[in-house]
Amino acid sequence: MTASGLAGAARGLAFSAGALLLALATAGLLLAAAGQDPVVSFQGMVETAFGSTYAIGNTIMKALPRLLPALGIALALRAGLWNIGAEGQIYVGAAACTAVALFGPLLPFPLGAGLALVAAMAAGAAWAAVPGVLRAYRGISEVITTLMLVYVAIQLTNWLIEGPWLVENSTWPATPMVPEAFRLPRIWPGTLVNAGVVVALFAAVLTGLIVTRTTFGLWIRAVGGNERASAVIGLPRRRLIVAALAASGAFAGLAGGVEVLGIRGRLLEGFSPGYGFEAIAIALLGRLNPAGIVAAALLFGALDAGAAGLQVASAGISSAIAPVIQALAVAYLLAGLGGARLIARRREARSALARAGAGDRG
Amino acid sequence: MDLAIPTLLVASAIAFAAPLIFAAMGELISEKAGVINIQLDGMMLAGAFTGTWAALASGSLLVGFVGAAAGGAAVAAIHGTLCLGLKADQVVSGVVLNILILGLTTFGIGAVFASDMGNAAPTLKPLPIPLLSDIPVIGRALFTQTPTVYLALLTVPAVWWLINRTTVGLALQAAGEAPGSARSMGIRVGRLRWAALIACGALAGIGGGQLVLAGLGTFTQNVTAGRGFIALAAVVFGRWRPVGALVAVLLFTTVEAVQVRAQVLGIELPYQFLVMAPYVATLVALTLFTGRSRPPRALGSND
Repeated sequence: MTASGLAGAARGLAFSAGALLLALATAGLLLAAAGQDPVVSFQGMVETAFGSTYAIGNTIMKALPRLLPALGIALALRAGLWNIGAEGQIYVGAAACTAVALFGPLLPFPLGAGLALVAAMAAGAAWAAVPGVLRAYRGISEVITTLMLVYVAIQLTNWLIEGPWLVENSTWPATPMVPEAFRLPRIWPGTLVNAGVVVALFAAVLTGLIVTRTTFGLWIRAVGGNERASAVIGLPRRRLIVAALAASGAFAGLAGGVEVLGIRGRLLEGFSPGYGFEAIAIALLGRLNPAGIVAAALLFGALDAGAAGLQVASAGISSAIAPVIQALAVAYLLAGLGGARLIARRREARSALARAGAGDRG
Repeated sequence: MDLAIPTLLVASAIAFAAPLIFAAMGELISEKAGVINIQLDGMMLAGAFTGTWAALASGSLLVGFVGAAAGGAAVAAIHGTLCLGLKADQVVSGVVLNILILGLTTFGIGAVFASDMGNAAPTLKPLPIPLLSDIPVIGRALFTQTPTVYLALLTVPAVWWLINRTTVGLALQAAGEAPGSARSMGIRVGRLRWAALIACGALAGIGGGQLVLAGLGTFTQNVTAGRGFIALAAVVFGRWRPVGALVAVLLFTTVEAVQVRAQVLGIELPYQFLVMAPYVATLVALTLFTGRSRPPRALGSND
C-alpha cells in the first residue's frame, strides 16, 4: 500500500471511530434521560460482549450473519449498485440450504454441508439477479426492486415454514432439525464458534481479491465509476450489472445458510431480525474495505451481544439501544464525511479563486 | 346476495388505506422534487410514537395529530440535513434512519409510556356524514369513517392540484427532473426540496398517528409493521401520479381486508401470498410499465 493510501485508510478509520464515540456518547445521554446510570449500563454491555471466552465467541457468532451480506453489499456498491435487499436474500438462502439438508441425499460432512451452502449461495444469487436483470435490460432502479423482493422472500419462507415444512409441537414456527451430518462443527472449545467463521473469513479475503486483483473486479469498478465510459470501451455492461448483483446476493444467501447449519440447526420464522439492513450500515462503516467491514461487523455483533447484558445491568431498559447506537454511528459518519467533503470543496474553490486573482494582477 | 360482507370489506379497505394514503401522498411530493425516502416507514413510526405521546399528555386528539406530524417532520429534517445539507447518499440515510427510529421508539416504549401502561390515548370515533351515510351499502362503507379518513381522501386531489396546477408544483417537478436547468431559471431547488421533504415527513407522521389514534390508542413496538414500504410501493405502482397511488393503495388494502377475513370468506390460499401481493404487483407493474412511466430523473441524486 502506498503512503497516501495508508494515510487515507487511517483517516477513514479515524472518521469511523469518531462517529462511534459520538454515538456511544449520545446513547449515554439517552440512557441517563431514561433514568439509568450510563456507566453501569455500558459496563454490563462490555461484560456480556467480551467478559469471557464464551462471551467473545458469542460476539463473533453475532457478527457472522451481518459480515457476509455486508461483503456482498460492498461488492455491488463497487459497481455502483445498491443491493438493499440482502435481508430477503438471507431468507431464500436459508430456505434453499434447509431444503437440501432436509430433503437431499444424506451425504457425510463436509460434502452435504458444502452442497447445502452452495445451494444457499445459488438461491441468494438468483434472488438478487432478478433486480439485476431488471436494471440491466429494462433500466429499472435496483433500489426499489431489491427492497420489494425482501418482503416477497420473507413471506415465501414463512409459508414454507408454516405450511409444507412445519414441524409438529414447536412453540415457534420452524422446520424439523437438519441431520447432524450437515451441521457446521464447533471449532473453539467452550464457545459457540463454528466452522462458519472460517467460511466468512475466506469470503472476506475473497471479496478483497476479487475487487483488487481480478479482471471482473476491475470491470465492475469501471462500470461503477462511469457507466457510459465503460460501455464505450466495450465492456459487457449489462452482464456485469447482473453478475455484480448476483455475486452480492450469493454472499447474503451464504449468511442464511451458515445461520441455519451453524447456529439454529433448522429454519426458524423471523430468524433474521434485519441483519441484511444492518449489513448496509456495516458496509459503509467499514468504508467498503474487507478488513474495515470485518471490524464493523464485529462491532455490531458486540453491540448485539452486549445488549442482552444491558437488560440485566439496568432493569427495564430495552435492548433496543443497540440498534440505536449502530444507526447513530453511521449517521454521524455520513454527516462527518459529508461535512469534510463540503469543506474540501470550499477550500478548493477559494484557492482557485485566489489563483485566478493572482493571475489577474500578474 | 348478502351485502353485509362486501360492505364490511370496502369499509375496512378504506379505513386501512388512510395511513397509507397520507404517507404515499407525502412520498409523491418528495419524489417529484427528487428526494427518495426509504425511511418512509420510520417517519410513520416516529409519527405514531410522538402522536400517541402528545395525545396522552394533552388529552387532545388535535394535539396528538400535530405531535404526529412533528415526529415525522423531525425524521425528515435529519434526512434533509444529511442528504440535502451534507450531500450524503439518500438510500443509506434512509436505511439507517429506519433502523434508528425502530430502535428509538422501541427504547422509548419503556422510557416514555411505562407509567401509562394500559392507559390508552384517546381515539377518534367514526363521524357519519349526514344523509350520505344513509345510502345503502356504500353509505356505511364510505361515509361512516373517522374524520381523518375523509381528510386522507381529500389530500389526493389536493396533491394533484399542487403538482399539476400551481407554479410551486411545476417548480417542484423541475427540481426533480432537471435540477441544473431549474436552477438556471432561478428556481431555488434546495429550498423546494427541503419544503417537499418536510411536507412528506409531516404527512407520513400523520399517517402513523392515524394508525394509533384511530385504532387501539396504544403504541406498540414496530406498530407500522412495514406499512411505509407498502406506501413506497404504491407511489411506484401508481406511476408517480396521485390518483394512481390512491388506486394502488386501495388495491393493496382491499387485499389486506380480504386477508383479515380470509377464513370467513372461505379462502384457501395461504395468507402469506396475500401479504406479499402488493410487492409482487409492484414488481410486475414496474416491469410492464417501463418505457411508459419512470421516476423523476434526478430522484435520489444530490445534484
